[in-house]
Amino acid sequence: MAAMKTRMSSFSRNTSVAPAPQAPGLKSGPNGTIFLSSGIPDLDKILGGGFPLGSLVMVMEDTEAPHHMLLLRNFMSQGLVHNQPLLYASPSKDPRAFLGTLPSPVLSKDDRSHNRDPEQLQEKGLRIAWQYKKYFGEHRPNFDSHRDTKHEYCNDFDLRKPLERYFLTAQNICCLSIQDPPNLAAFRDCCAKFLAQFSRNNSSISCAGRVAIQSFCAPQCEYSNMEWDMLSFIRSLKGMIRDSNAVAVITFPPSLLSPSSSKRWQHIADTLLSVKAIPDEDKELANLLTGYQDMVGLLNVHKVANVNTQVPVILEATTFSIKLQKRRYLVLECLNQAPVDGSSGSSYASTGSCSGSTKTGTLDF
Amino acid sequence: MAESICRNLRDGALEGEHAPALSIKDSIATPFGSDVFNYVLTKLSSNILAGKSQSKISILDCYTDPLGWKDSLKGPLDTENFSLKDPIEAVLFRHVRNLDLLLSAIIEMGEALARQGKGRFSVSIDSVTEMLRHASLSSVANLLSKVRSHASRLKIAINGVICKLDIKKVYDQNRISSTFWLLHSDLHEIRAIAALEYLSSMVGSLEPMNLSLNGQRGDLEKLSLLEQNSRKGKFHVRFKRRNGRVRVMCEDFHIKQSGINFTPVSSEEGIINQGLLPKVQFNLQLSEKERIDRAKVVLPFEHQGNGEPMHIYDGRRSLSEGKDEKASVLSENLQTNENSGKGEIIYFRDSDDEMPDSDEDPDDDLDI
Repeated sequence: MAAMKTRMSSFSRNTSVAPAPQAPGLKSGPNGTIFLSSGIPDLDKILGGGFPLGSLVMVMEDTEAPHHMLLLRNFMSQGLVHNQPLLYASPSKDPRAFLGTLPSPVLSKDDRSHNRDPEQLQEKGLRIAWQYKKYFGEHRPNFDSHRDTKHEYCNDFDLRKPLERYFLTAQNICCLSIQDPPNLAAFRDCCAKFLAQFSRNNSSISCAGRVAIQSFCAPQCEYSNMEWDMLSFIRSLKGMIRDSNAVAVITFPPSLLSPSSSKRWQHIADTLLSVKAIPDEDKELANLLTGYQDMVGLLNVHKVANVNTQVPVILEATTFSIKLQKRRYLVLECLNQAPVDGSSGSSYASTGSCSGSTKTGTLDF
Repeated sequence: MAESICRNLRDGALEGEHAPALSIKDSIATPFGSDVFNYVLTKLSSNILAGKSQSKISILDCYTDPLGWKDSLKGPLDTENFSLKDPIEAVLFRHVRNLDLLLSAIIEMGEALARQGKGRFSVSIDSVTEMLRHASLSSVANLLSKVRSHASRLKIAINGVICKLDIKKVYDQNRISSTFWLLHSDLHEIRAIAALEYLSSMVGSLEPMNLSLNGQRGDLEKLSLLEQNSRKGKFHVRFKRRNGRVRVMCEDFHIKQSGINFTPVSSEEGIINQGLLPKVQFNLQLSEKERIDRAKVVLPFEHQGNGEPMHIYDGRRSLSEGKDEKASVLSENLQTNENSGKGEIIYFRDSDDEMPDSDEDPDDDLDI
């Protein structure tokens, strides 16, 4: 063991590289990365801090469920709360209308965390041991109570309450409809112009930007059969994002693309998530999973961005259930299920496919 | 279940939502899509009717002359003979390739009828397959999504075939729409079908009764199966609910002279959705045999209930005890061999050098 030697080697870890971010809503992470929040506290924890600046996040939609909208809404709201400029593109005629559905942040964090614990206590029936749980995650609960929402890195969002008007009338929101234009040239130019505001240089970051593109290959868009054009757009967007202090989230339904295109899009993402619908009133699933009644869908984390490092991020669990707590707050929970016979399944490491339909391909990550 | 689909179409969309849309898919194995289509059409209109005496339906006829050829051929051709038995207004539409024009024609016709009485806009498309023959997928998808998001109030029918149904009345409500269409799934690429399913909120697919014909069956059996398929089938519906869950329903249908009948599924099929969940290596569930064995295990700290003093087995075998125990174990073993499946707990201590348990048994104060 070389523990006794304190020889200074010529290599020394340069921990002072990352400038402490002055802007609210940013957090520095390992390997000199800076994170911004996804808007969902559980997702930030799963991903190890949030979305790193300069990364491309892709979310694979399920054609049968709108859960990607939940992720997008939280992402966009978080950006607006932190006053980060936002570019939103969608295939609907009036994308501005979507802004009206963005959720509002919950003002006091304690209100929610205390509500969570008694429910869990009653559920599990173990009243002695679990009261310590509140000391694990929510450390320093008293400290947080007097911070206002602007300074919190990640807010809880109340999906039933719409975001206040003054957030939406700010100058820094750009909305685009991608339904009508026959090709992506105009969209690409718009993105380039937007991202030019956040170009990276060695000075400290003044603010970070967010790009949210919804249902990128939706069939009603005219460019949707031009697969190579779409791929080249994503590639150039990724290049632009890398060079700037911004994060882009693109959602797309993989079953509407050809299999090879779909694979290429999955590989080009830095962080890859997918959402799945669950069948309604399914007795087998209800027996297999606890908490089935509250679940609205499943979230799978296929790939987590590893920036500035060769070491990949390996998660303990990759499948999470999406629940709406009290029909307001989005929570992600690890699945509690009865395991199946080992001979019929394959282990976590090799299976990436959790698809109910056979159209999505298997992913080996 | 077919009732519930029609009810969903009738109820329409909530404020801010897109209109519900039903896709009916059939294939060559079960070519009964138009029967189901007619069923839904009649049900929808009779649901809407509910007491109103007058009814009105408009048809946009894209079948007779879709590309305007008859128009351009002047001369002896007499094309003005759409004398229908029913007094239905049918407007000829000649520019099927231009979907913008089609959309505006729909809306125009709709608004014309709307002026005669407030009503709900419901669009039924006899065959999207026909539309896809003339126009690209993205433009058809564009049209359908615009129809879904258009909040108007009227009922018209776009037909590839002229509709022969009776006229119905539109329902009084504001800004509610619904739409449904028919699709022949074997005439399109998978991508096109996936795109249309993406655009609809309910997908109904017709499947033959017996899915696979085993090659080893005799010809007679095949014929009887074919005959069964020619009149009956299964109707599967995947229904996208507002909370993001998908309801899967299934019914059998039977085509008769009078029309189509839906009956609940005769055979029970359990669909286990384990494909959704990750598979884990170990198994915590017990098979029947294991469960019985577990019930038979004699637990060490329980009263056996037979008046004997409790023997707490601690796994150590000292010499003297060993002999005695061996004798008793042997006799027990004989008995156990006769008893089948008696469970045992086998405990081996790590080594005999370990300190023996102290005399104070901490569990003595438990009253079992």
